[in-house]
Amino acid sequence: MDAAPPVAAPPRYSLPPVRRPEEDILFCVDVDLEALTEMKPAASASGPSSGSASTGSPQQPAGAGAGGAARPALRRLDAVKQALLLFVHGKRKICPGHRFAFASLGETVSMVRHRPCHDPFISRLPLVGFRVKKDFSSDPGSAMEAVHSLAASGSRYETADLTPLFKIAYQEGKRAESQGRLLRVILIYCRSSTKPHHQWPVKPKNFTLDIFYLHDKPTADNCPQKVYDALVDALEHVSQYEGYILETSQGLARVIFREMCILLSHPMQRCIQDDLDIPKQVAKKTLATEAAQNEDGTPVSSQQ
Amino acid sequence: MSPSADAAAPASTSGPPLAPLIAAQLSYLLSHSKLPIKVEQIWSGCRNGRYSDRFTLSIPLCLDYVHWDFLYNALAPKVAPDVVFGPDDEGFQPLVDYAEAGSGDKSCLAGWDYRDPRGLLALVHELRELYVEYHKKQVAKVDDARVTFELSTVLSKEGIEVCMVPSADRPEEVKFSVPLLDVDFDFAKLVPGCPWKLPQKIHLQVIFPISRSSSYSSVPSAPRLKLISTPDLKSLFSVEDEKLPPWSNGMCLAEYLPALEESLNLRVVEASASIGARRRFIEALAPTFGRPIEADPIFCREATVLSISGIFTFLVHFAIPLQFPRQQPALTLQSSQHLNANGTPIMSLPINDYPWSPRWDQAEMVERIYDFLTDECQNFKKFCSDTITQQK
Repeated sequence: MDAAPPVAAPPRYSLPPVRRPEEDILFCVDVDLEALTEMKPAASASGPSSGSASTGSPQQPAGAGAGGAARPALRRLDAVKQALLLFVHGKRKICPGHRFAFASLGETVSMVRHRPCHDPFISRLPLVGFRVKKDFSSDPGSAMEAVHSLAASGSRYETADLTPLFKIAYQEGKRAESQGRLLRVILIYCRSSTKPHHQWPVKPKNFTLDIFYLHDKPTADNCPQKVYDALVDALEHVSQYEGYILETSQGLARVIFREMCILLSHPMQRCIQDDLDIPKQVAKKTLATEAAQNEDGTPVSSQQ
Repeated sequence: MSPSADAAAPASTSGPPLAPLIAAQLSYLLSHSKLPIKVEQIWSGCRNGRYSDRFTLSIPLCLDYVHWDFLYNALAPKVAPDVVFGPDDEGFQPLVDYAEAGSGDKSCLAGWDYRDPRGLLALVHELRELYVEYHKKQVAKVDDARVTFELSTVLSKEGIEVCMVPSADRPEEVKFSVPLLDVDFDFAKLVPGCPWKLPQKIHLQVIFPISRSSSYSSVPSAPRLKLISTPDLKSLFSVEDEKLPPWSNGMCLAEYLPALEESLNLRVVEASASIGARRRFIEALAPTFGRPIEADPIFCREATVLSISGIFTFLVHFAIPLQFPRQQPALTLQSSQHLNANGTPIMSLPINDYPWSPRWDQAEMVERIYDFLTDECQNFKKFCSDTITQQK
């Protein structure tokens, strides 16, 4: 048997002086019944916790099986909402010019509309500037309102049509390009048996698509692998820059937060997904893997 | 295509939109002038006018701004605008100056074409140049031998502007705005991928007190000196951190400027080299910390990495100072798992008191930061848990 050819080392990271456009990021969140699947309670106090109810989501129970007062379990959508806010704040810390808009995916896509914003100067100089679509905003309060308004209806949808999402993204992509900005869509999908579909023709690619797939473990009654493959096909069909598709079936909120942080990466500064090496452990070498195994019994790999 | 951010938005505009031809001239001015002109207000000359036809512009002069009103008439669009200067400018009569000069030169107002969008830009630039000359004449009249002497020695330097500094509670002063470094010096060339739209400059602001005695017997006091840069330049070089050479007794500008310019030249070259050092530092983060999530590719002032300690995932934001590597980066940690009371992820304060030496090579700097963080992230994790517990 021939030896496998040596795998080429991934290219070294370099930071050439190429302009980094600010992003307009459109989140599209699945609100199917499966978004209400319960998460696993955290094994230790280092699990996700929120200081108050102001985030609009129930607090993570601090200890599993503690036998104390029953608290509502965290649901997928609640963890996703916290993750979205984490993302917005993280991205704003990196660069305050990035902006965000939100949409939900039931059978089809609908945008969460911000309150209209009036800019008197832009409207008084008809020959200068251009019409700014006010759905994207860098205001964290606005993002919080939009995230809180996302709600699962409790229905199981038969289909998931991504065509309107791509249409909106394509139009916004053109607008973003004219403003020197970069459009990205982050799709958060929760269904283990329903493959998404689309009729998007071959068109110039002017937005990047990332996907985060939250699903159940494979059983005889579902087909998450098929759904995953369909998601990969959609991503490869439309994404301008390297889009990442991350998935988890663990049902742990901290994993959702971790994976969302990977998606913070700017599309024009990314490596290909196969070469992803983050997050990297910051720990004295011998203690790192021990600590990880003690806390929840599963070995931690950066790409889990 | 460039974003619309360059078109300055005025502080307050209420009222109807500008008449189209006037709007065209204003747009052209804002997008083509190399001066950082701002629009302050827009209004209509008529009480219930359909269109606005008047606006106030802030025009840079001598390291300050003058505010002039430009009054068009939407009901008589072919007529050139009137211009109202500031309250202290009774003596500025540009059209009279042309007549008196007798050279046959005319203002651009003489050939005003209301359909030409370039009209306003030509007018503003012309008036500003005349205004600069007017101020030079005002200062030349001042009865102070030192000021007169200084003026005569530097007037030949291109781009000098001077003006009186009126003051109610202080004796009058004269301000010189002296552009430093070569007139063709292009800071943008020092920055690969530079995004600046307007040319950048450093000026020396010199304020001479006026002492009306015309004798040389008393040594004139030193002027007040300040370095002032155009705003974009701050991302490359901070004039505030520059220590000016001392002004010794009896010195004059012609003696002072060369030493200042030489030292400034060196500092600017250092600042440019620092970009390269910061870029290499960010690149050196990758083998140890993983590929950065995002980094500033032009000025290399910021980079963020995603790290994990056990199962605690957190971001590390690096803020790299202009004087790197002499000054060390500030580190801010941000949890992915803990939110404070108003729903924002818990962040540490910026940390910049960890072990550091500018003489280390990039790889060592990164290793030392990594070692520091192995302990510090545990402290941070505890800080986050404690904060959560206190909020309950």
